[in-house]
Amino acid sequence: MTDTEARPTYKYVGTRPIRHDGLDKVTGKARFAADLNMTGQLRAAITRSPHAHARIVSIDTSAAEAMPGVKAVVTGADFPEIDIADPIHDEAVNNIARDEVLYNGHAVAAVAATTLAQARAAAVAVKVEYEELPAILSIDEAIADGAPLANPTTRTLFTGDTEPSNFASIGQFERGDVEAGFAAADVIVEREFTTVPVHQGYIEPHACVADCGQDGKASIWASSQGHFAVRSKTAAILGWSTDRIKVTPAEIGGGFGGKTTIYLEPIAVRLSQKAGRPVKLAMTREEVLRATGPAPASKISLKIGATNEGELTTLAGTMYYSNGSTKGFSALTGAMSVASYKFPNLELHAIGTVDNTPKSVAYRAPSAPQAAFAVETLVDEIAEQLGMDPIELRLRNAVVEGDPTAMGMPHPKIGFIETLEAIKSSDHYNSPVPEGAGRGFATGFWFNIGEQSSATVNLNEDGTATVITGSPDIGGSRASMALMAAEELGLDVHRITPIVADTESVGFTDITEGSRATFATGMAVVNACRELIEKMRERAAVIRGVDVDQVAWIGGAAVVEGPASEGSEPLTIADITAQAKMTGGPLTATASLNAAGAGPSFAAHLADVLVDEETGQVTILRYTTAQDAGTAIHPAYVEGQMQGGSAQGIGWALNEEYIFNASGEMENASFLDYRMPVASDLPMIETIIVEVPNPSHPYGVRGVGETGIVPPIPTLANAIAAATGVRMTDLPMSPPNVLKKINEK
Amino acid sequence: MAIVHLQADHRRFTGGEEVLEVDGATVGAVIAELERRFPGLGPLLTEGASVAIDGELLPRGSIYEEVGPTTDVHFIAPITGG
Amino acid sequence: MINRTHVHCTVNGDEVDFLADDATSLLDALRDELGLTGAKEGCATGDCGACSILVDGAVNCACLMFAAEAEGHEITTVEGIADGDHLHPLQQVFLEEAALQCGICTPGVLVSAKALLDHNPNPTETEIRYALAGNLCRCTGYDKIIHAVQEAAVQLNGASK
Repeated sequence: MTDTEARPTYKYVGTRPIRHDGLDKVTGKARFAADLNMTGQLRAAITRSPHAHARIVSIDTSAAEAMPGVKAVVTGADFPEIDIADPIHDEAVNNIARDEVLYNGHAVAAVAATTLAQARAAAVAVKVEYEELPAILSIDEAIADGAPLANPTTRTLFTGDTEPSNFASIGQFERGDVEAGFAAADVIVEREFTTVPVHQGYIEPHACVADCGQDGKASIWASSQGHFAVRSKTAAILGWSTDRIKVTPAEIGGGFGGKTTIYLEPIAVRLSQKAGRPVKLAMTREEVLRATGPAPASKISLKIGATNEGELTTLAGTMYYSNGSTKGFSALTGAMSVASYKFPNLELHAIGTVDNTPKSVAYRAPSAPQAAFAVETLVDEIAEQLGMDPIELRLRNAVVEGDPTAMGMPHPKIGFIETLEAIKSSDHYNSPVPEGAGRGFATGFWFNIGEQSSATVNLNEDGTATVITGSPDIGGSRASMALMAAEELGLDVHRITPIVADTESVGFTDITEGSRATFATGMAVVNACRELIEKMRERAAVIRGVDVDQVAWIGGAAVVEGPASEGSEPLTIADITAQAKMTGGPLTATASLNAAGAGPSFAAHLADVLVDEETGQVTILRYTTAQDAGTAIHPAYVEGQMQGGSAQGIGWALNEEYIFNASGEMENASFLDYRMPVASDLPMIETIIVEVPNPSHPYGVRGVGETGIVPPIPTLANAIAAATGVRMTDLPMSPPNVLKKINEK
Repeated sequence: MAIVHLQADHRRFTGGEEVLEVDGATVGAVIAELERRFPGLGPLLTEGASVAIDGELLPRGSIYEEVGPTTDVHFIAPITGG
Repeated sequence: MINRTHVHCTVNGDEVDFLADDATSLLDALRDELGLTGAKEGCATGDCGACSILVDGAVNCACLMFAAEAEGHEITTVEGIADGDHLHPLQQVFLEEAALQCGICTPGVLVSAKALLDHNPNPTETEIRYALAGNLCRCTGYDKIIHAVQEAAVQLNGASK
């Protein structure tokens, strides 16, 4: 499905070559962080708090230090004190506690020893004396009058307040007149929605290897979405300058936002420094669940007013998001996500809280799924009350270019209408609903970001090319870089090798997040290629003895045009590189940018479900997603992002949840009890790629990695409502929860 | 001179005013002028906001971006991702 | 004094031997003693399948076996699926169908899929889904993986005719 404008015909962009790193991944040769071993390395383990909130009275490491094989022990005292106003403060404290432990699982000490078993035994032998403090374990507890402080270093963002607080941020958005809007509305629906924390669930636990040399420099190999961020955050936490640290990104086994922060590297470096040997530090799955992520819990009360003609006129509500142990932006981001419909009258209060659970981190389109659960359920109810088709209602109110976002600024060119139309004309939508099933529909979007990227393109002596970027490849982006370079240079994509280089070998590049890699890093690659083409034209001019103005770049070769073209054969890249030495030297170009104009990606999902009214089990019979990719550089990997995001959203909707006991300890910290979707839970996920090109990118790219996780929760909630008449307002919609609601009906 | 659009959070500094004409040749200059007129607002805009110029979302920290007499400048909560 | 057991077994067709502590898992022995890092630790509790290997042709989680239990058995890991530099059809089709994204679950999925097709050359979609239910993937939503196994089955059946 394409835009009405003529779409350029691309030779390489839009094809599906085998990815360049694929062979290693199907043969077991690919090196993830935990696969790396250095000669003489030590293994490390972390001592973690058993209390949700406590003051550290004392730490005695003497017993641990005396145990067999132990070469180094660190505690918070081994790291510089950081002022609470310093941007790195919260992450530094999260890496290893100083005066207080803020959640069950908070790191308190770490041990490096000759074997992992020895390190673990010694970590248990570190004696920590705690004075337990009152723990806040939910949003309600955090906002209650007179509530004790979950984290006394919290200062509420956006208020300028200097008093400690349980409020992470307080913000609001408003336009129009909501009172008048509701007074004039023909239909009003209002509900409160709750969700609990869920984890990104990457199959690869966090891991790194750190080697601190005698020259005071450290090398780190890390599983991360952004190795430049690993460098700068590790340096800041250690109090070092960034040039003392080199980070090499290992292959990463999933991130989804959960690996945009760091948990291990400063500890590993400090242990390595103390022991004088490399240190390998990895988390167990239990540690991942007890001490990293998750996506925030939320409590959202929303009210929507509409006219009988189906105009959504008024939206008002209060959105609470928990940030876990330290403050963050999650509430504000959630409120910003309700920007899909015109809503002339809008008033949203966005309140973030802190509590004594692990610090929440991004999870694909952070905060948007919780917001979509609320908005898309209420919009569906309005469609139901008005007797209107749910897609028609969306079409009537969908934002288009120029319409305001929740934040007020206008939307750039977007493809929401086209995405809605794609589902409307899909085979799924036009098939009858199976006997006994319910059909649900919902939409979502993500803004996507640009930010900083660098790329270097080297032409090799034989006319092949190496494309060097700094964006860890979490979804197949290397293949997309090669495709864009192939298109620019007119060079076969299989003669291009894309790599992700370490922090010393490529220019600064921001974290792979916000669906930015194909967009922003792709732009840097394109710019570097264009600079190279200019250089090759100059070299061709020298070779042919003509003015550079007479040389054109056509079909991957330098072609002399004009009077001197007689008898002059085109010079291919290989021809030019063969004479690089004689015409001025190596051919290479580097480009860097701080990319603007990231284009939002909208999605619409459709699901048919069967609900077993005796058990509450929800079975998905059919699932279809449509999403605007701008231009799909490598369609198979765009489909992969759509399908992966959908599966995560389905898990979030139907089964995933953190279960804390009254002491703030996670009771289901394993993959057995933290139940993510397996192959037998899901049907095929049909994908429809919509392409409304983003005018700000040379190939029209819109990031696609995040939007897919936004619609599934309300899609399934609306399907369950269609099947049973029951509106689910609390997640997860697991069998006992669905059954309870059915029985209450 | 730019036409600045502020969010509800920011309006508590401006006495509720939402759209203002502000002198300044760059985003940074506009922020400095806003800080001069409404002390305390500046840091919120510098550290706590992304900025959109005529609808185009700019990367965080784009204080040298030029603005003209009719440029629409929206200050919005920082957008990240995951 | 540390007691270690001397273990002898066959791995990917080679006779190997190594030393293992009482508590060492077969996964750790494969990765740390034998340098075969294809099998991954995703959970160490047998719930994710990233460490899936074949023991005498049957799928097992290497994290749930003591290294000493491997004594006398034939172990196959992802490194043993290809024939030299000839990929198994499953591996080739996974590449062509983009049935992997981050790749961390891929070794375990390939092992499980190979075991399935070795025993059931013509599985239905449901049979494939249940055979792979022990292999968690968080990136793909399983769709392209299932398609790839179906396609590989077709190719293997065609080749054996």
